[in-house]
This record gives sequence, C-alpha cells and structure tokens, in this order.
Amino acid sequence: MSQPTPMVQPLLMQFQQLFFLSKLVGVLPQDLDKFRFKNVLEKSRNGMVYMLGILMFYMVLYNLLIYSFGEEDRSLKATQSTLTFVIGLFLTYIGLIMMVTDQVTALFNQGRLGDLYERIRVVDERLYREQCLVDNSSIAKRIRIMLLMTFVFELFILLSTYIMLVDYTQWLSVLWVVSAIPTFINTLDKIWFAVSLYALKERFEAINATLEDLVAEHEKFLTWLNGVDPNDPIEDRAADDSESQPPQYDSNLEYLYKELGGIDVGSLRGSGSKGKNKVSPIAHSLNSFGESIQSPRKLLQSNTTPMINMAHESELSNATKVEEKLNNLCQVHDEICEIGKAMNGLWSYPILSLMAYGFLIFTAQLYFLYCATRAQSIPSLFRSAKNPFITVIVLVYTSGKCIYLIYLSWKTSLASKRTGISLHKCGVVADDNLLYEIVNHLSLKLLNHSVDFSACGFFTLDMETLYGVSGGITSYLIILIQFNLAAQQAKDAINSFNSFNDTAGLVGAATEFGNESSSLFDLVTTTMMTPLN
Amino acid sequence: MIQVMNWLSMAIGLIPLNRQLSQSNIVLDYAMMVIVPCLYLGSYLGIILMERFGLPYLDACNSVCRLSNNLFMHLGAFLYVTITLLSLYRRKQFFVEFETRLAEIDVVIQKCRRVAELDKVRAQAVKHSVAYHFTWLFVFSVFIFALYYDSRELYLTFGEYAIIPFMVSSFPYLAGSIIQGEFIYHVSVISNRFEQINKLFEKINQEARHRHAPLTVFDIESEGKKQERKPTPAEKAAATKAIYSNDPKLADELKRQKALPAKQQNEDELNTSDEEDDDIFDYNEGMMEENTDTTSEANLPDLFKLHDKILALSVLTNGEFGPQCVPYMAACFVVSIFGIFLETKVNFIVSGKSRLLDYVTYLYVIWSFTTMVVAYIVLRLCCNANNHSKQSAMIVHEIMQKKPAFMLSNDLFYNKMKSFTLQFLHWEGYFQFNGIGLFALDYTFIFSTVSAATSYLIVLLQFDMTAILRNEGLMT
Repeated sequence: MSQPTPMVQPLLMQFQQLFFLSKLVGVLPQDLDKFRFKNVLEKSRNGMVYMLGILMFYMVLYNLLIYSFGEEDRSLKATQSTLTFVIGLFLTYIGLIMMVTDQVTALFNQGRLGDLYERIRVVDERLYREQCLVDNSSIAKRIRIMLLMTFVFELFILLSTYIMLVDYTQWLSVLWVVSAIPTFINTLDKIWFAVSLYALKERFEAINATLEDLVAEHEKFLTWLNGVDPNDPIEDRAADDSESQPPQYDSNLEYLYKELGGIDVGSLRGSGSKGKNKVSPIAHSLNSFGESIQSPRKLLQSNTTPMINMAHESELSNATKVEEKLNNLCQVHDEICEIGKAMNGLWSYPILSLMAYGFLIFTAQLYFLYCATRAQSIPSLFRSAKNPFITVIVLVYTSGKCIYLIYLSWKTSLASKRTGISLHKCGVVADDNLLYEIVNHLSLKLLNHSVDFSACGFFTLDMETLYGVSGGITSYLIILIQFNLAAQQAKDAINSFNSFNDTAGLVGAATEFGNESSSLFDLVTTTMMTPLN
Repeated sequence: MIQVMNWLSMAIGLIPLNRQLSQSNIVLDYAMMVIVPCLYLGSYLGIILMERFGLPYLDACNSVCRLSNNLFMHLGAFLYVTITLLSLYRRKQFFVEFETRLAEIDVVIQKCRRVAELDKVRAQAVKHSVAYHFTWLFVFSVFIFALYYDSRELYLTFGEYAIIPFMVSSFPYLAGSIIQGEFIYHVSVISNRFEQINKLFEKINQEARHRHAPLTVFDIESEGKKQERKPTPAEKAAATKAIYSNDPKLADELKRQKALPAKQQNEDELNTSDEEDDDIFDYNEGMMEENTDTTSEANLPDLFKLHDKILALSVLTNGEFGPQCVPYMAACFVVSIFGIFLETKVNFIVSGKSRLLDYVTYLYVIWSFTTMVVAYIVLRLCCNANNHSKQSAMIVHEIMQKKPAFMLSNDLFYNKMKSFTLQFLHWEGYFQFNGIGLFALDYTFIFSTVSAATSYLIVLLQFDMTAILRNEGLMT
C-alpha cells in the first residue's frame, strides 16, 4: 500500500505457499512465474500438460495399488459377507473419482479462477475507496494452519496404518503411500475454496463493521451535541446550518491521525491489527490536517465559544453525502454476492463429490469398524478401520473437511444477511427522512441479493443439511448393522445345518426337518450369501 | 421460582456465583464451577477404572442391564462435559452484559410507557396466570420424583456409597435440564419485553383508529411536496413555520385538536422534552409532533430501536445457550428412543424378574419423560418469542393501513415504519432461535425428531431380543 498505484494488496499475495504446493502436486495448472511476479493466475499450457501427466501418473499408481492389495480381497471373498464385499467394491474408486473431479474441474476453470481473484481485488479497491479496509494478513496464517493440519492428519493416518496394519516385509507394500494421494489433493483444493470463502466472509463483515461504525459515530455525535447544549436549540440550529457547507470540519482529527498511523505502520508490515477493518480518512479531509488537533472533550469544556469548525462530525447527518457511500457499499455487497455465486459455480462439482465422499466414507468406515470388532474380514483398502483410534482420526479428518466448508458457507451467508440489518440501523439512528428513503430503497435491493452456497443445487451448504446428513448416516448405519447381524445369524444357521445335515445324511434320519430348512437354505443362499460350496 | 432455579444452578456449579456483579472474587465465584465437575469426573473415571460402585459390575446385572446402563452413563458424560465446558467458557460476561442491556431496554420501555400513559395500568401486570404456576409445579414434581426414584434405588443397592453412582446416572441430566431452565428464563424475559413493546404498538394502533376522522382537513399533498423539496433541516424548519403562518385554517384545526388532550399533554411534555431535544437537531419533528396532537406515536422511533435491541439481545442469548441445546436435545432423543425400546422389548416381557433391569428401564423412561418436558418448554418459549417479534411487524403494518394523521402529515413516519418492517424482513432471514444452525428451535423441530424417532424405532424394534433374554435366564 506504500505505492500509490495498487491501492490494496491483492488477496492472492497471501496464497504464495499454497500455490507453490498446489502447483507441485498438480492441483492447479496456472502459470508459476506470472503468479510469483505479478500475483495473478493465468492460463498456462505447460501447466496443463504437467497436470495431465501427473493425473495419469496418479491414476496408474492408484490402480496398481488397488490391484496389488486386491489380491488379499479375492482370496477373502469367499469368507466375507456379500454386503461388506459390495460396499467395499463400490467405495474402492470413490477416492479416485473425487481426485479426478477436482483436477479436471481445475483444468477447465483455469482461466476463470484468475478472473475471480481479479474481481475480489477490484472489490477491495472499491471498499478501500469507501474507507473500509480489509486486513488480509490473517489469511496467510490461516492457510499455514490448514496446511499444517492437513500434513499432520495425512501423515498420521498414513504412517500409523502402514506401521500397524500393512505387512511391510513385502516391497509392494510401499504402494500404500499412494492411498493418501487422493485425500491430500482434495484437501489442497478445498483449502483454496475455504480460504477464498473466508475472504468473502471478511469482506461482508467489513461492510457490516463500516455500517456499524457509522452508527456508533453518529451516536457519539448525538451525545456530544447534547453535552454541548442541552437547552439552546438555536445553537444547534446554527451548527446545523453550517453543516450544510461540506468540507470544513470533517472528522474527529485525533481519531483520524490514529487511524492514519495505524494504516501506515500496520499495513506495511502486513501484520497490523488482525481481522479489524480500519476506517481510513476520506480524501477531502486531508486539507484540514495541518490545523490544530483538539479532542471534542476539550471543546466541550470550552463550549462558551461556539467553535463550529471543530464539531464532532458524523457522516450520517449529511444525507446526500452518505447516500453515495451507502449506495456504493450496497453495490459492493452485490458484487461480493455475485463473486460468491461464481465461486460456488466453479467449485460445485468438487464440493458435490467431496460431500458424497464424506457421507459414504463416514458410513463405511463406521460399518467396517463394526465388522472388525466382530472379527469379520473387511476390504483391504479400508484396513484403517481395524484400529478404533485410527478410525477416529480418519473420521475427524474427513468430517472436519466437510463440516468446516459447510460451517463457513453458513457463516458467510449469515454475514451477507446481516448487512441489511446494519443498514437499517444507520437509518434509525440518523432518523432523517431522506436517509430513510435511501435506506428503504437499498434494503429492498439487499433483500434480493442473497448468497446461498449449494452443491450443484442438490442441497444448500448450511447447518441444517448437516443435521439431515448426520441423521441419514445414523439410520443407514443401523440398517447396515441389522443386515450384517441377520447375515451372520443366517450363516451360523447354515453352518450348523450343514454339519447337522452331514451327520443326518449318514444316519439317514430327520427328513422332514431337512426339507423344511433346505428351503430356508436356498433362500438365504440366493439372496444373502456367496455360494459356500 | 426463578430464584430457586438460580440458587440450584449456582449450588451445582453451572453458573458463577455473584453473576451480576462484574467485580467480585474470582475464586469464590468459580469455586463451585470447578469443584462439581471435578467431583463428577472423579466418580465417572473412578467407576470406569476401578470397576467398583457401578451397576455394570454387580453380579445381578445381566447383559441387557449392563449395556443400557453403560449407554446411559456415557451419554450423560457426553452431555455433562459439553455443557460444563460451554458454561465455563461463557463465564460471567454474558450475564453481566445481558443484565446491562436489559436494564437499558427497560429504561426506554418505561419512558415509552409513560408517554403512552400505560404506566397507570401497570400495577396488576405482574400477576402470573394459573398455567404458569401449574407448569412450574409440574416440572418441579417431575424432577423431584425422578431424583427420588433414582436415589432410593441406588441407596437400596449401594448403601451409603450411593452418591457415587448417582453422580453418573441422574446428575448429568439434571444439570443439563437446569441449564435449559436458564435458557428458558432468558428467553421468557425476552419474550416478555416483546410483549410489552407489542402493547405499546397496539396502543398506537388504537389511537390511530380514533384519530381517523379529523385528518381529512389536512392538505396532505402540498405539505408533503414542500417537505420533500427541503434539503436541510434548517430550511425545513423555516418552511414548516411558513406553513403554519400561511395556512391559518390548518393552524386553527391544530389548535382545536390540541385543546382536547392538553391536560394530559402537560405531563407528557415534561417527560418527552429531553428526547425531543435529541431529535430536534436532525429532523425538526419535535415541533410537528407537538402541534399534531401526539400522545404515543412519539414512541415509534424508540420502539423501533427497542425492537432492534431486543432482537440483538436474543441473538446474544441464542449464541450462548444454543450450543448447549444441541447435546441436550441429542441426549433427550437417544434416551427417549432407548426408553421406548427397552420398555417394549424387555420390560413388557420380563418385568419383575430382575430388580436392576427394572430399575434401568424405568430410569430411561423417567428421564426421557423429564427431558422431553424441558425440551418442549424450551421449544414453546422460543416459538412464542419468535411470534411476538413477528407480531410487532404485523401491528406496524396495521397502523400503516389505517393511515393515521401523524403518518399522512409527515413522510418521515411513513418511511420510518416502512424501514422498520423492511428491517424486520432482514431480521427474519438472519435470526431465529436455533441450535448452532443445525435446527430451528420451534415446533418444526418436534415434527422432524418425531419422524426420525419413528423410523429408528421401526428399525430398532426388529431386533430379536428373545434369544438374549433366554440366554440370561429371564425367559423360558
């Protein structure tokens, strides 16, 4: 911000590490050099080729993994129940599908992603012009924390499973490392989405905070006015008159100075006060900087001289001036909503696949955990379910990803709805006819801008969906366990019947009982079981 | 009643002592909040690790009893630990802030009541209905019965050590219910404020009906236009003066109107003078209002601000208590389902065979009933508060439809009311009592849980318990 031309830091500057990592493992195809020097995401043919190559490589490796570990399954197929086997078969490729969706979507969107961040930058500039500054420095920290957590979780799951549950005497077992690739790539991609979403939420909150600041300032202004003169309306009238001449007394200057200092020092270091938006001075108040700085309290004490020049200013008392500001803020709000929609559009398929993955894996992992505690065999790709502790970590990791995205979308949506309320507060506190008209008009506009995040339109990403999904997981789990129990009982019955039948055949007795249960045996064999003999 | 509940919750360490004083001894305040959870954790871990004093470790306890008791105990632990952590996290700030904001709101409400002359009616307002007392009595008796049953059974089993198993069986549910009671109290306070505001709005509404007749005299259009034209308040003031001087007819009419309620207005002016001084700077309505026979529409801006403030207070309350609702509702749901399951599949068939088994099943039933009652009250009150806040907007719309004099004579009031209703639309989209967004706390929640419970029950009732019961020797 020290240079005059770029007024605001582009958001992408915070994404440096994430971009290098994503580029390396093939999540994004964009040009590396352009990003490094100009902080823009641009299409790149080389990147595309590199990414496609990596994608093919991953697919080959993953198939190799499935093939080599599938050996055990094939030998186990006879003994495990059909249900477990079918579930395992269904879910074998879901990780790969998720990864391919992410990468292919990234390839298709490589041009549009850059536009998105460009639009965010433009929004930032407009916000800056409305004296509402968004602090991006916390985003870099956020990215770092997320990356760290991803590494910790992935490494923990991978290593603990490898050490405890994989037979590492064979050299092919090294392939197990590949099993972590799809989730890792998916997480990287989702970090991009989550952080961008968080940035949007911050923008909304900055707008809200600006509006609330206006209200607070006006309230201060009103109390100040009362403090000066409770009983003399003429003086107020005079102040009122002079207020219609705009540029003279614009702000509480001490406050301004503090803010200016804060911006200069804080934003250069990029560390300033985190998460707080700052109200920077408006342009035409700059000319009154050289004048003496006096706090309003001093003025209050010396109120015998009506120093109207130094009055405590509130923007809200000047309807025409504030109209433009409110208008601009509303337009920016609309623009952010549009960006949100565009972003949701870009990531719609990856999010859908992630949610499907989360739901299925969560259910399957719990089911396999149940199977493992009953000493039944489970598909080898889900061997982490053999250990309850690793299962818990896997579940936390998977559900954490999904829930964080859902939570963030919900919060963003709420923050965008909050703007209308804050806007009305401005109107109420100023209590001015013209301002009411403006506010009412803008409020209708805001009612129609809404940003709701959804996965391809199938379901909205908010907490109620989470509630529904958790209910769904439980009921499916109960049903699965019921079937498993029934299958197990049927298997026991068949086993005992078989042994009984053998002995019975030798003895040559018990014919009626045999007839009766052989029909049961047929039924169970055709529906539930893989053939035993 | 509320006092009793507050003392109880302080005694078992759910809310800090001296919660409304911002400056007090920290150690004293939070002593109970630390000691009781430690006691609980001590007995919980002690039972699990030492395998003593717990029902599951008795010889008389069969597998069904052991399973259900374990579930009850761990569910209680989950409930209690989450609730206690959230209470500790909340600490005193919430109570202090709630009280200060409430005090602010009450001051303004008092002022408005004075303006609207409702404060004479006030004396009889604090009388609660029969239903209120009955509800409290009912809830108390249900709780006392639940606690009595549990402690009696445990005393018969464990003798003087009964306190240890009691801490892990009934205590967590009691604590959760009491926290919900706190939530109920805060919501009812909010709901009450909404009601008071609605009364004030209703007063304005009635007045608007009475004032309908003389307003035909006003030359609305020309006045409206003149006002629209005015860019600054000062000019506006000048223009309004001009109107009165130019239009003697109107002035006469106004005078005539003013003469009637003059006696009342004298007192009113004394009270309203300060607030109108605030306003006089921004919009010179003070003058206008005094001229056009106002009694209570002067309240409108204050009422709008109040409504906004109360909603903000609800957001705060919901933010504090909503997260605690989620584990409670979940525990209530699970306990109810298993209560029905055990009652139908076990107790109907083999009741009276094993005392411990009977005790556990009855415990489930009793606590499912108790928690359901509390949850229902929570939902009911949240729904009520929501409805009351909606009603304000409805009344304002009604006022607008009646086209009262103060609205037609002045664009400002019209815009103000429109702004209020629009703002309420925004509020409706933004806020509703909810448990961290997972579910809305109103009657729809009952519907969704009942439907979910039905489907779970259908699945659960298919479990074949006869083999297990036969193995335990309870059935032949």
